[in-house]
Amino acid sequence: MPAGVFKESYLEDMAILRYPLHKASLVAGLVLVALLPLLLGSYGIDQAVALMIFFLGALGLNIVTGLAGQISLAQGALMGVGAYTAAHLALHGVNVLAAIPLAGVVAAATGFVLGLPSFRLKGYYLAMASIAAQAILEYVFKTWVDPNQGIAIPRGEKMVAGIYFGKGLPLYYTVLAVSVLAVLAATNIGRSGLGRAMKAVRDNDVSASVVGINVARVKALAFALGSFYAGVAGALYVLANPSIEWGAFTLDTSIEYLAMVLVGGPGRIIWGSLLGALTIHTGWSLLASALAANAAAKYIVLGGLIAFFVVLEPDGLIGVLRRVKEYFRLWPFRY
Amino acid sequence: MEPYIIATLVKESLVMSILYSVTALGFNLVYRVNKSINLAHPGIALLAGYAAFIASAHGLGFFLVAVIVSATGFALGLLMERGIARPLLGRSPVALIAATLGALYVLRGVAIEASGDYWSGGSLDVMNTVYSVGGVVITGSDIAALLVAAAALGLVIGIHRFTRLGVAMRAVAENPYGAAGYGLPVRRLTALSWGFAGLLGALGGLAFGIKAGITPSMDGYVLKALTASLLAGLDTVEGIIVGGLVLSFIEQFGDYALHNYLPGFGGVAAFIVMLLVLLVKPYGFFGTERIERL
Repeated sequence: MPAGVFKESYLEDMAILRYPLHKASLVAGLVLVALLPLLLGSYGIDQAVALMIFFLGALGLNIVTGLAGQISLAQGALMGVGAYTAAHLALHGVNVLAAIPLAGVVAAATGFVLGLPSFRLKGYYLAMASIAAQAILEYVFKTWVDPNQGIAIPRGEKMVAGIYFGKGLPLYYTVLAVSVLAVLAATNIGRSGLGRAMKAVRDNDVSASVVGINVARVKALAFALGSFYAGVAGALYVLANPSIEWGAFTLDTSIEYLAMVLVGGPGRIIWGSLLGALTIHTGWSLLASALAANAAAKYIVLGGLIAFFVVLEPDGLIGVLRRVKEYFRLWPFRY
Repeated sequence: MEPYIIATLVKESLVMSILYSVTALGFNLVYRVNKSINLAHPGIALLAGYAAFIASAHGLGFFLVAVIVSATGFALGLLMERGIARPLLGRSPVALIAATLGALYVLRGVAIEASGDYWSGGSLDVMNTVYSVGGVVITGSDIAALLVAAAALGLVIGIHRFTRLGVAMRAVAENPYGAAGYGLPVRRLTALSWGFAGLLGALGGLAFGIKAGITPSMDGYVLKALTASLLAGLDTVEGIIVGGLVLSFIEQFGDYALHNYLPGFGGVAAFIVMLLVLLVKPYGFFGTERIERL
């Protein structure tokens, strides 16, 4: 009798759920997230929804930065593009749930355009281009899209089939469903040919083009995909909040997204983004409400975390967890 | 367009160009030794601006304030070289960008925390005289800001151009291995470059504070100065003046020409120029083109 799990076909080897443990934890995890709102109060549900929204944005940035290696500081503005698209569509009578993918598409188109400089530029030049794009989009929001500092979406626009989707359980399950779909898609992007091409471009774009990868196409796709996630996150943000204003989509938001990716684990798109969003978003809001911390403390803690992880722990929290796992694999022996 | 309006715009552009050049040179000095961008530079300017604001609110003389600000900036530069840049040697340029973004946040947090009630800002009054030359109003703060910035710019460019220390720093920027081979203390000279960059950021912050007032968003000017640095080329020293001039003239005249159609264009012009430069001529006027081989 074989000890352990053996794979006898390529399909088995490529399956997402390869071990009995995976299947058991998937079932347990699904049951947990499905029943979570029963355990949490209404504050907890709001927190969970916000966490999932920022997780989606971070997931998108992790595809761009972690998988394809293109640093971007415009994720906040792209989330804004999605949010304003969804808000205006909802105000013009489009079903608010149908507006979610549309917002993603508009953000993806914007992200594709913003990604065009990446055909010629890389590294710090690209970072500067994205800062410039972020500033220009902020200007567009401030001047034309949202000149009154805030767009309110009335309650009636979020009613679909008699159910109000802006709060409580309907909101939670909508955001959860979108997140599960997004995670599934991201997993498949990561392990498909496109994902491997992105990793090749990240590691060395010149050698990637030598082995026949269309570098420009891969970069453009990475930007479009990452921005699609940001746009979806923006649309869900509209769903979860009674009104939106451009202050939520500034360079600070983009930096926070980058912090989530870097602290969580760049390149580990699902778990890295989730850990990052948990640490930066939820961890911070819990800490802030517990300690009554102010903006100064937020900047110092967040900045310190970014610098610490980049300098000393480039693999992020995922890397730390992996080391812990390795340690316990052989425990109590040292090697 | 009446002549005095043109003259006012030219005056404003000239003052701003020196201010942009000073702060932008800080980006360049770091780029020369580390081949990446120091995004904590705006944070240094912000912290230095508030340090100057609080010090002068406590009645310190202007000269003393300038010395305190320079020392703060220099020390912050050295600290960041030791804490961030040196451990990241050999890593990708993006790592330095990300880490200095973290440092930017820390500096901003420290500025908020340390300034307390002063955080809402105000104006730094250095000279209260107002001159009028043919309809062009030149305020004391214009002159003071120009003097601070020009002194800092002259000092650093002068050191780079005319002293043996400057030659050594240029050698390290050009080729650190070669410089080490000739016995130059590469690590100390790199740290010194960061120190000068910090000094320039701090004095630039002081100059912007004198010119435009101390506000929580004054670090935005320094981010815009990145465009000047890019226009001139990231590894030039003297060329930075041209970058500053081009940027400030585009900003002032563009804003004047377009403010009816694009309100607040002056605030975003720098970033539009930045994007255009990156698309058309990413190495700037004087920068060295980077060629990559496998």
